[in-house]
Amino acid sequence: MLRRRELLAYLIGAGVAGTLLVGPYALRVVVGAVFLPGRAVPVVPIVLLPMLWGLWNLLWARRHPRLSIGAWGAVLGCAAASGVNGYLWAAGVWFRAAALLLVFLPVLYWLLWRLVVGPLNEALGVEGERG
Amino acid sequence: MRTLGLIHRGTPEPPHDLWPRLRARLREEDDVVRVPVPALGWREEAALAVVLGTVAVVPDPLGFLAASGIL
Repeated sequence: MLRRRELLAYLIGAGVAGTLLVGPYALRVVVGAVFLPGRAVPVVPIVLLPMLWGLWNLLWARRHPRLSIGAWGAVLGCAAASGVNGYLWAAGVWFRAAALLLVFLPVLYWLLWRLVVGPLNEALGVEGERG
Repeated sequence: MRTLGLIHRGTPEPPHDLWPRLRARLREEDDVVRVPVPALGWREEAALAVVLGTVAVVPDPLGFLAASGIL
């Protein structure tokens, strides 16, 4: 059974990630057209991000892990970086700098989950039973 | 007919405009949300430095950011 705060957690995670998708869907077109016209950039299935973030935040609300919310986000970042590297490898477009995602994404996700998702969880009552 | 008249007189006029009621109810239930954003300390600054530094040192920042799902 899905509790209200778990559903709210999903919506917070999905909402934050969905908002961040403005970058890939709008800025990429502008930046690519201005700085690198005609050049293809690697495309990863970022459309899944809102679902992933939502489900990860739902798990946070359901399981109450002993990690901080930032660390919980960093674990997702680690998994996402591994997934992206695997995807790029399988698609035959892997490049050496993509390995840096294994550091970059966990740190970035730590920041975002600590400064955005965690406070929203607290403000909207997702953290209610955590004390 | 007399009974019907009594019923009509005893029943209050239905509200024709429900919007004021709805707006009042929404106002009652709509409380202010305070988002407790933590203060930026050395850990956040270090993380930001790692993020910006990584983007600065990779040979193809656009491709890197695209692969990361940021751009």
